[in-house]
Formats: sequence, structure tokens, C-alpha cells
Amino acid sequence: MGRGEAGYGASIASQQNIALNFSKRPYIEDVGPRKIKSIRFSTMSSQEITKGAEVHVYEQSLYQIPERRPLANGVLDNRLGVSDKKSECSTCHGKLADCPGHFGYIKLELPVFHIGYFKNIINILQCICKSCARLLLSEEDRQKCFRRMRNPRTEVLTKKAIVKKVTDLSKRVRTCARCGEINGVVKKLGSTLKIIHDKYAKEPVHRDEMIGQFEEALKFNKELKTYINRLQEDLNPIKVLGLFEDMTEEDCEVLDLLDRPEKLLVTHLAVPPVAIRPSVEMDSAIGSNEDDITIKLLNIIENNNQLRMCLESGQSIVHCMEIWDCLQIQAAMYINSELPGLPPNMQTGKPLRGFVQRLKGKQGRFRGNLSGKRVDFSGRTVISPDPNLKVSEVAVPVLMAQTLTYPEKVSSHNIEKLRQCIINGVSKHPGANFVVFPDGAKRFLKFGDRRRIAAELKYGDIVERHLEDGDIVLFNRQPSLHRMSIMSHRARVMPWRTLRFNESVCNPYNADFDGDEMNIHVPQTEEARTEALMLMGVQNNLCTPKNGEILVASTQDFLTSSFLITRRDTFYDRASFSLMCSYMGDATEQIDLPTPTILKPIELWTGKQLFNVLVRPNAQTRVFVNLIVCEKNYTKGRESMCPRDGYVYFRNSELICGQLGKGTLGNGNKDGLFTVLLRDYNQQAAASCMNRLAKLSARWIGNHGFSIGIDDVQPGARLTIEKEKQISQGYHACDKHIELYNKGKLTLQPGCNAAQTLESEITGELNKIREKAGQVCVNELHWRNSPLIMSQCGSKGSVINISQMIACVGQQSVGGHRAPNGFMDRSLPHFPRNDKTAQGKGFVANSFYTGLTAPEFFFHTMGGREGLVDTAVKTAETGYMSRRLMKALEDLSTHYDGSVRNSSGGVVQLTYGDDSMDPANMEGKNGAPFNLDRLLMKVKATCPPQSFSSLPPTELLNTLTSRLAHQDVSPESGCSTAFVKSLKEFMEEHISTISNTRSKLGLPMDCSREMDHFLEEKIAANVSGLSSRQLEVFLETCIKRYHAKRIEPGTAIGAVGAQSIGEPGTQMTLKTFHFAGVASMNITLGVPRIKEIINASKKISTPIITAKLVCENDVKAARIVKGRIERTVLGEVAKSIKTVLKPGQAFVSIKLDMKRVEALQLDISAYTVAESIMKVSKLKVKQQHLRVLDHEKLIIFTPETDRLKLHFALRSLQSMLPKVIVKGIPTVERAVINQDKGKYNLLVEGTNLAAVMGTEGVEGRQTKSNHIIEVEKTLGIEAARKCIIDEIQYTMASHGMSIDLRHMMLLADVMTYKGEVLGITRFGMTKMKDSVLMLASFEKTTDHLFDASVHGRTDQIEGVSECIIMGIPMPIGTGLFKIRQNVQKLPTLKYGPTPLLS
Amino acid sequence: MADEEDYEGGEPDFEEPEPEELEEELENDEAPDAEGGIDVDMREESEQVRDKARKTTKYMTKYERARVLGTRALQISMNAPVMVELEGETDPLEIAMKELRERKIPFTIRRYLPDGSYEDWGVDELIVEDSWRRQVGN
Repeated sequence: MGRGEAGYGASIASQQNIALNFSKRPYIEDVGPRKIKSIRFSTMSSQEITKGAEVHVYEQSLYQIPERRPLANGVLDNRLGVSDKKSECSTCHGKLADCPGHFGYIKLELPVFHIGYFKNIINILQCICKSCARLLLSEEDRQKCFRRMRNPRTEVLTKKAIVKKVTDLSKRVRTCARCGEINGVVKKLGSTLKIIHDKYAKEPVHRDEMIGQFEEALKFNKELKTYINRLQEDLNPIKVLGLFEDMTEEDCEVLDLLDRPEKLLVTHLAVPPVAIRPSVEMDSAIGSNEDDITIKLLNIIENNNQLRMCLESGQSIVHCMEIWDCLQIQAAMYINSELPGLPPNMQTGKPLRGFVQRLKGKQGRFRGNLSGKRVDFSGRTVISPDPNLKVSEVAVPVLMAQTLTYPEKVSSHNIEKLRQCIINGVSKHPGANFVVFPDGAKRFLKFGDRRRIAAELKYGDIVERHLEDGDIVLFNRQPSLHRMSIMSHRARVMPWRTLRFNESVCNPYNADFDGDEMNIHVPQTEEARTEALMLMGVQNNLCTPKNGEILVASTQDFLTSSFLITRRDTFYDRASFSLMCSYMGDATEQIDLPTPTILKPIELWTGKQLFNVLVRPNAQTRVFVNLIVCEKNYTKGRESMCPRDGYVYFRNSELICGQLGKGTLGNGNKDGLFTVLLRDYNQQAAASCMNRLAKLSARWIGNHGFSIGIDDVQPGARLTIEKEKQISQGYHACDKHIELYNKGKLTLQPGCNAAQTLESEITGELNKIREKAGQVCVNELHWRNSPLIMSQCGSKGSVINISQMIACVGQQSVGGHRAPNGFMDRSLPHFPRNDKTAQGKGFVANSFYTGLTAPEFFFHTMGGREGLVDTAVKTAETGYMSRRLMKALEDLSTHYDGSVRNSSGGVVQLTYGDDSMDPANMEGKNGAPFNLDRLLMKVKATCPPQSFSSLPPTELLNTLTSRLAHQDVSPESGCSTAFVKSLKEFMEEHISTISNTRSKLGLPMDCSREMDHFLEEKIAANVSGLSSRQLEVFLETCIKRYHAKRIEPGTAIGAVGAQSIGEPGTQMTLKTFHFAGVASMNITLGVPRIKEIINASKKISTPIITAKLVCENDVKAARIVKGRIERTVLGEVAKSIKTVLKPGQAFVSIKLDMKRVEALQLDISAYTVAESIMKVSKLKVKQQHLRVLDHEKLIIFTPETDRLKLHFALRSLQSMLPKVIVKGIPTVERAVINQDKGKYNLLVEGTNLAAVMGTEGVEGRQTKSNHIIEVEKTLGIEAARKCIIDEIQYTMASHGMSIDLRHMMLLADVMTYKGEVLGITRFGMTKMKDSVLMLASFEKTTDHLFDASVHGRTDQIEGVSECIIMGIPMPIGTGLFKIRQNVQKLPTLKYGPTPLLS
Repeated sequence: MADEEDYEGGEPDFEEPEPEELEEELENDEAPDAEGGIDVDMREESEQVRDKARKTTKYMTKYERARVLGTRALQISMNAPVMVELEGETDPLEIAMKELRERKIPFTIRRYLPDGSYEDWGVDELIVEDSWRRQVGN
């Protein structure tokens, strides 16, 4: 089907291997290795098939029986290649390894349809005349379409549209304009492989004429009569072939056919080489095991031979047709064995694998063998932790290291080492397995004289040596959800059988040590290992590009021990402090002991001082960390005087106050210790600090001891009492609510009925109980309580977990509600019917320690089960979502001109994320490049003001403006205006505080060097001063660092974006609903919502329009607008709808309840009602049937004229009238008034944004919808883009997940850059991408391939998928540019006589 | 649907040289004097690109760094002459890093712009971001 336009120079190589040596060889220019540039898909003609084949295959059996040799001209003929190691190919005389296999052909006696092209064949037949084979289009249309098709600028998508249009037009044509023949509908007959032409369906005249011809026949054949009315033409393959052969080239072109259409039918069948359908020989008695393709080919040959015999011997036509049909089905099953609706006699047992099945699906050729391949030099085993390893290291078991090798080329630098390796051989560790000599010979080092080989080792030989310390390996854990799931580490060969690494790296892999296994891969070339180290190294991936938070950071025990060490009132004497200092390193680093905090009576150091040492072990290390972090247990507003010591303050690498916990040391924050080290210094600083902390913590906690026991979860007496009190209070409150409910006195929440209100009140009450119980636990527990410590420092567990163990498990929920009624009106038979109490609906008052009662246990399993089901369901769902995102975004990258483009050069964004910043490097919140407060603090601390103290504000402003006027701050040089603005605003605010201070001290605002204000100047400087040097350094660092944060050309931001959106999906709970302001207004959230957005669904489950009101402060105004939006039916506002029967006239009279209308402030009168009634087409009421009497009364006559039916007509009118919508938008379900900070807005459930925007009283310009397609239809594509960004952002944020806005922008841009909203589905994708291979590797593999070959598409191999399939480096990252060697220019030779004197 | 597209055909490639030249001059003013390097003259085919001002970033991207180092390390591992004084390093990658630090790698990076044109930058002309030397203040 596909043919590469250029192959590798394989033929040249094979020619040289031929034994015959000619004295004069033909000259073949060596053009070096060739690359596949493009692939053109086309169809093969019969001639091409026969020409390309070696053998005509027609024998029905496989083997010559006595010898069991492949039969000549059989399916396994030796000329087709071989599939076992013994025999030799008769065509090329190659063995199994050398012979690529050769094709054969089967000549079919009668043509059959190619199942892959069946649809296209029908399509073509629909467009051409079934007698003259010309297009049915009028000449004018034909010319127009032809011109457009020929236009070289016409894109594939447009071509498709043209063909569709041609088909539509042709379907309407009844008679051919050229030959005058009538043409009817062409369609497939049922589920068979037959095409019929229903010529006379719409031409009764011609049909009768045709039937007339059968008159004679009917006389003799009575059976014919039953069929005569179904007079249709059978378009059998012979007929179709004839028609197609008659088609003109121009017509083919109009139908976007590159080749002749007759190639779509099969007359000759290619027999694939034996190599792709190997036959496995069994015992001689049993025979052999043949591939499905071979069996199918045999069937076809058998059928074909039968057909030939039939035709030759002239048997009955019925019999021939039967065999022909059978052949057709066999030929179809050969290509696609999963045909729907085959005759049952054809389906036998297990379906055979056709070609389509070989390509399709996850295990198919495309996804299983082309996009993903099996690799060598990889290993997999169980993982375990080792805090003594560096963050960037992985311990590889010796056994593995001896199997995994690296081919090292012998050079002057390593010859001695490699000699030793060779001598050590295969079974001693720093050894080698093979030596490869330049001539290609390979020596196995297990046998033979290794010393001799070592001695004879020469430069240029390659030694496949064992893995050794410092080698670069890739380390991976599935599921690989983001790029940090595979990182490069340096190997450390160690004894035992597990792969080990520092626990700090658990997070990016999402690994734990409960039996997880991980994989390692050894890159085999110098280039590969360099790229792996530089781009995939752990140190270069400390931060996630999802949002710039640090990912490689301390976890679990490390946090616990840091928390314990830095507790207040922990003092260490010289011995223990020194010991702890020495824990940090491996006795290689110099450590300067700080001055002890307490000198007398004995020297004592605090635990906090240990962290000073940890961050800055000696004076030579010029690392000055400045940061402020509020830990979890920080009490607001107390700053450094926080009673729980939750205010962590580092100043110049000194821990001033604060007990360290997850906020400072853990992952997922932007201001922690490691982040600051990484941003202000470098990766090495952060990594080495992590290493030190890991060693210190693990060793310290090993000695100190930290464990959990039953006594940790035993509640004390006070706790028990307190808990009982809380629970009884809660129960009491619930009972009160129930009582109110039963009396019907419950005050309803907006938009809820009584039952819903009760539920939400009780749920709130019960949640309060657990919260309070947790609080009680935290307050009552001893500070040494292990679970408490763990939850406080953030290493494991939460307050809720503690409270569940000690106090009370709390409410169990199923599907977001209390336990449902599994029995009649009750949840369990332990409770009375209609029980609404806490206990009866799944509240577990016991703790895990006290033990659950039987009903409680059942409730608990209900909740537990839901969790399990949820995780099982969501993995598949999110996995598929990630895959789709990845396929859609995979080829987007930044280019050297700063634009974001796809592989074919289409612009998706002109600057990435509007400011070309790298999300991985963002320091501030919400994707801001800096945390300016922290940076200024650091500058102030690291560069203390000199003798001339702070600058006056005017001076500061001058410096600021002059610096911001520099060229490197201009937008042309890459500084976004937003950044400059934020910097300016920040500085101005700071300067204004300074001037405030100064004015309070009575100091002048401008520069005056008077010494009389000396004291005040000093005070001002200390309070909020800024020296010129400080300002200069601050601005300089900001601007310089800003430039370093730009996204680098070549970054595969598409892939990064897809991962950044896909990975958090796995953490989202599947079905979550959320209340949008009002309790009753549910919004779909979580994975389903993300799916809706990404799919660009036309119908979403909860469409909500947020309407801003013109008059925001008035509830009344809001009510009026609400009334106009919500639909009001006539029944609601009518006082009466009566049928009046008077002599001579009968009508329905409607009287409006004007009081009610006025109360609701609806703009309704009889006139508007009349109009509304006329709009309802079902009523068939016209203007003349209506009579409006006054503004509140109107009468309707029925349009029915038949007196007998009059009564019924009136009755039905009367029953239908109350449902007529007289006011409001029909598509709107309801509207709810929402109060937000004293302002009112409307939440409208339903669609029709345009109508809501147009409603009086709604501020249309600020009205939003969450329905993307509707926004596109109403407001346009830019609005849709914004809507996509906002909606993803909102959904992610409501699950507490922060994702950099730039990723969502990119996704939104991809979905909209074609001018319409395209979903990330197979339908949208076909409109986004041109590459056939990429689409084939996504979904509907064979459909895309068949389609491509019919239309002769060309695939430029430029995208990521295509390059992977072809095994070519892709133009992304390191492939975006070329490296050229500088060569010394040749000396210019002067031609001419040599000078006489030189 | 796409009727308009028929009539916009005509000259296949249109270039607007004027604004480009304006920009060129502007950029030339501020461009660093890296042009006066030693090895400007030996890449013949790139000359027509050369006289235009180069617009791409003057920093070496991490991809360029990785590839340059990788290629150079491969060369060194295959016994290419080393351009720097060695102090006991044997790992080709380490040697390549040292060469890069001393800007002795004899490579030129050909950066392709999306329109197919390219810019040549010598490894010695590019600023290699050495994050380990970055410190704030003093």
C-alpha cells in the first residue's frame, strides 16, 4: 500500500556482498545514508502486482506430501522466501536472516471488491452514470469542481469537502446529462458485499416500461411475480470494473482519485512473503502450524480453482454465482476478518486475523511495533529506598550491571581501564562481555584467552563493558504520566537484588516501596548519554513544568526528623551536635561549627542551628538563603511569635525561627528551602542540600527512634468525654432539623425542596462533628504522639485520619450523599423506615480504635467500595484522555522565532503563552515569573546598606525609571509588558511605603545630604530603606533572571502541556459535583467535565450561564430579570382557561391573573399571550382564530372546521394551552439569584446564551456561559478560546490543582486555531492533522490508510509520530538545528610562477 | 464553502524586503561585536544569511548545549584531538564540558527558522548559561 520514495542505500551494500567480482564495477555514487522524506500512498494495479511477484500461486496444498517440501506454486513456495533456519530462498539464495521475502500473486478468475475500498467504490458509483461512466454533474459544476481540485493550494480538508459536495449534487441527478440514461440510488445491499442500483425507485414510468419487458417471462415463471416489484440492477464487480475502466481521467480527478479507479477492485491478489506469515513445523506426525494469512490464502485459492472449474465446465450460473460470492467474502476476510453481518456459515469458530487486525489496536503493528518498540539493554526489578545515595544516583544490583553493558570505544584515555575489564571477563564485576573489532568481528569474553585479547587491544576497538559507577542510566516507573516519570540517574553498582534510590525522588515517579518495580535503560552511545544527562537528569528536572513547583523534595521520615530536630527547646551538647553534623556528609566535607547558643554552664546548640550548618556547612559555601514560609500550624498574624513556631524564617542561611515541616522542605510549594536554593543558586546547591538532609534525617531518626503503637491511638478520659459531648450535640442538632422537617417548618434554601434542604443541613451538622472531634484530638493529644507529629509536619496523615483512629470515623458518603436506601425506605434493616437520623444514614460514631458496630461496618464498606470502584474506573478514563491530548499536542514546539508551531509549520501561537516564559521556571503565584517580595527581601539581606544609607524616594523613582528605559527591558528584547508593569507597580508601592515612613519622621522626599537629620535618616533606613546598591542589584537580578526564564527554542511544549493537563486528571475523583454559589446549582466537575471541555461536546450535562445584572444591588431588580428569563407557562398566570360553548360558536376563553402577573413583575398581557400562542405551531392557531378582548382576556376559536370533531379539538386545545410558554426562554431550565459580596447576579441553568444576553436588565457584555460550543456560536472563536481556558482553569482549581495558565492557553489554541472549535477526538483530530501515519497510529488505523491510498495522499515525515514510526530523529529539541564542524579553510593556492625571491 | 480560495492564486512567493532591512540596521547597532571572531570566513554557503542581522537568541539553548556536548563527546571518544589541556579527565563528556567552558569546541550551530532559512552561530559566539555561577548581590 505504501511505498517509500527513497530507501536507505541497502541495495548498494547488498551488491558488494555478491561473490562475483567484476573487474570493472558499475560506478555507483555514494550519496551517503538516505532519509525517508515522504511517503506516498497509492493503490496497486494488477500489472504492478504481477510484475512485483516472483511466483504465480495456484496450488491448493502446502506441501509435497511424502517429502514435506513446500509445493511449487503453492502458498509456501520457496521462491516466496523461507521461514525456517534450514532452508534457502530459491529467489535470492538467502537464508532466513538475509532473505527479505518475495511476493507472489493469485490470479482471480473473476474480480471482487476490495473490502477496504468498498465505501469508496459505492461513493464513486453514486457520482457516475451507470451507463456512460461520466460524472452526473452538469458540465458547469464539473468544470468548477475540477478547477478547484487542480488548484495546488487546495488543502486536503477542502478536497474532502468538494468530494462530499459532488456526491450530494450527484445523488440528486436522475438522468445523465450526457447519455440520457436514468440513474437511481446506489447502495449496499443489506449486510452483504453487494452493490445494487435502484434505478427505477423514483421513476415509475420507466419502471412500468421495464416491467413490461418481463411480460413474456412472467407468463412462464410464476415465481418471478413476487420479485418483479423489486426491480434493481446488480452492480457486480465485473460491471463496476467495466464502468471504472471507462471513466475519464478528469472525472477521476474531480473525485479526488489519484489513480485509476479500477485499481480499487481486486483482479490479482498479492501473496505476501512467507517471512511475514511463518509456518511453524511441529512433529512430523502432526504436520505444521500455519499462520492465519496462509490459511486464508489457501481458502481463496481453493475457491478460485473451484470457480475456474465451474466456468470452464460450464456449470449452472447459480452455482457459479455462489462460488463467486464465496470468493468475494474470502477475499474480504483476508483483508479484514471482522466484517459485520457475514453469513453465519462463513463464521467458523475463532476468527482468523486478517491484515486489518494485524495493524489495528493497541497490540497492532502501528501502536505495538511501530510507535513503541521492544528494547535491549534494559532491566526491571523491585525498588527499595536508600537515603545514603545521592538524589541523582540509582543503585544497580551487580547482577544487573553484569548483564547491562555499554560499548566503550578504546581511546588513549581509557585503554588501561578497558584492558582490566577484559581481563576480569564476564563474571567479575567491573568486567566486559564482548569485544568488537573494527572489522565487525565480535569476541565473547567468557571463553578464550582474555589476557591476550586485553594485550592486543587497539584504539578503535569497542569493548562492551559492564555498567560501572557513574554510568548514565534512564530510570522509569509506569504509569509514565509526565516527563519526570523517566529521568536519568548515575548508576552505583551495589550488592543485593534491588534497585535503590533516594526517597526524595519518590515523588516524581510516584513510587513507594510496597513492592513497586521499576525499569532501567542504558543509553548506548556517547550522544545519547550526554543528552540524557543534560536534559533528563534528575538535577535538571527538580521542578515540574506543570506549574513550577518543586517535585524532587524531602518526604515522610525526612520531614518528621527535621520537624523533631528543629523543635523549640531542643538543645545538643558538643558531642551530639558534632555527631549530627557528621551525619550530613560522608566525612568529605569541611564543616564549620557555629557558635553555641548557650555558652555557660555548658556549650549547647539548638536544633535550628543544625539547619544553619545543613544549608551552609562552611564559610566557603557562599549560599545565602532568605525565605519566609508559613507552615501548616502557623497562627495567623503572630509572625515570629507564633505559639506553635510555624513561622519559618531563614535569613542569610540562618534559621531564625520556625519548626520545619512540609511547607519548607516538602514538594509542591514555591517558596520552600529547596526552591529558593534552586532559583537563587543552582540545581547543585539544591540537590546537595537534599542529599545532606536525607543522610542527616535517616541517620538521626534511626538513632532517635520513631514509631507508632496502640497507645498512640488510645483516647484519654477527657478526650472521650469531649467527643461524647460533641456527638450528642451534633445528634441533637440533627434531630431538631428532622423535627422541623416533619412539621414542615424548615426554612428552605434557595432552589431546594424540603428534603434537599434537610439533607444539606444534616450533612453540614455531621461534618462539623468530625471536624470538631479532630480539633479536640489535636488539642488533647500529647505533643509526642506520633500520628500527631506526622500530621503536623505533613509527612503523613491528616487531622481527619487521626480523628478517625482515635475519636470518630464520621459520616460515610456514597456518591456525595449519605448512605442511600438499599432497602425499603431505609438504608439497612437495623433501622426503622424513613429514618433520617444520623445513625440510620451512615454516621459512624465509633473510632477505629473502639471498633465499629455492625451497621457502621456496613456503611463503612459502602463508602470504601465506592472509592475502589472510582479508582478502577478513572484510571482507564484518564489514560485515554491523556493519550488523546498527547496525540493532539505532540508535535507542537517553540521555534527560533519564538512562535509555537506544529510540525507542518502551522502557527498555533505567535509567542508561547503571550510572554514566552517557561512554566517550569515560574517562581511566583499564578504563573508570575517572580515572587518579588522574597527577592527584595533577599537583596536587602544579602547586600546590607553601606555607610551612606537609604536613598530618598525621588532618587529611587529616578533610578527605577532610568533602568526600565534600558533596551533589555523593551518588549522587542523579550520582556513582556505585563512583567515590566508588575515590576514597576511593585517598586512604586515599595517606594510609597518608604516615603510614608519618611514623611512621618519629617524627612524630605528629595535628595538632601544634611547631617542634621542623621538619626531620623537612620531610623527611616532601618524601617524601610533601600540603598541605591540594593535597588540596582534588585532590578538587575530581576531583569537578568527574567531573560533566563524564557522558553528555549525547540522545547516540546505541546507534549509538556498535554502531560500537565493529563497528569492531574489521574488525581481527580471521578464524579464530583460542586455547588456554584447556591447549594442547589450543581456543576459537573472532575474528569467528566474536563472530558466535556476537551471533546468540545455539543451537549454538556450542566450548562450554566452566569448573567451579570445591570442593577446589581437590588434583589427586586434581580427577581424581575429572573422572571423574564425563566419560562412561565400560561397555566401559571391564567386565572381561568375555559371552554365556552354557545349556540353558533365554540371557543376557549383565557383570563389572565393580572395580580399574579404584576406580583411576579412579568411583562405579560393578553396581547403577548396571543403572540406566544401563535408561535406554537403544534396548536395550529392562526391570527384569525384569536381575538383579544382586553389586556387580560382573550378567546381562541379552534381551527377545526368539522363540526363532529369540534369538541375534541376544543378539548385538546384546552389541555395544551396551559403548557404554552408565555414568557422566558424555553431552553432555560431555571434561574437562581446568587448573592456574591453584596452583589446579585443570576445563574441560569440551560442554554441559549444569546437570548439571556438580550434580556432586558442583563449586562450582556459580562455574561458568561460554560458551554464552549454555544459561546463559539454566539460570540465567536476568540470567546470560545477564552471560555476553554477559563473552564479548564476553573475545573482544575476547584480540585485544588494549580496548572500553569500557559498549558491551558496552548490547549485552547490548538482547539481553536483552525477557526472552529475542534475537540480532541478522532473527528477533530482529522481536521487538525494532515499526516496519515499520525492519524493511523491514533485511531481507526486502517480507515485512514485505505482512504490515503484511494486519494493518493503524501505524508511528509515531519511530525513526531511519523518520525518515530520511520525511526528518524524529529525536528524538536535537539533535532531543530544542525551542528557543523568548523574546518580550517584551505590555503589559497596561487597559480603562477614562483617568485624568484621570497 | 471555499469559493474565495480560487481567486487568490497568483504569485507564489511574495517577499517584503523593506521592513526587514530597517530592522536590520536597528539590530546592527546594538548587536554585540561577536562578528569579528576568528572563524567567520570559512563557511561559504551561509554567507547570504550572514549579512542579514541574526535575530535568534544569543544564549545557547539547553538542547544546543546537550547536542554540542554529545557530538563532541562522541568525537573525543573516537580519539579526536582534544582542544584543551587535560587535568586527568578521562570521560569524553567531561572533556567536552571543559572544552565548552573554554569555548574551544570547533562547531557551528545552524539554527533553522520555520520558513526554512537559517542562521549560523559559532559555539564560541553563544552565551552559555552557566547557572552555577549565578549569585545575587555582592
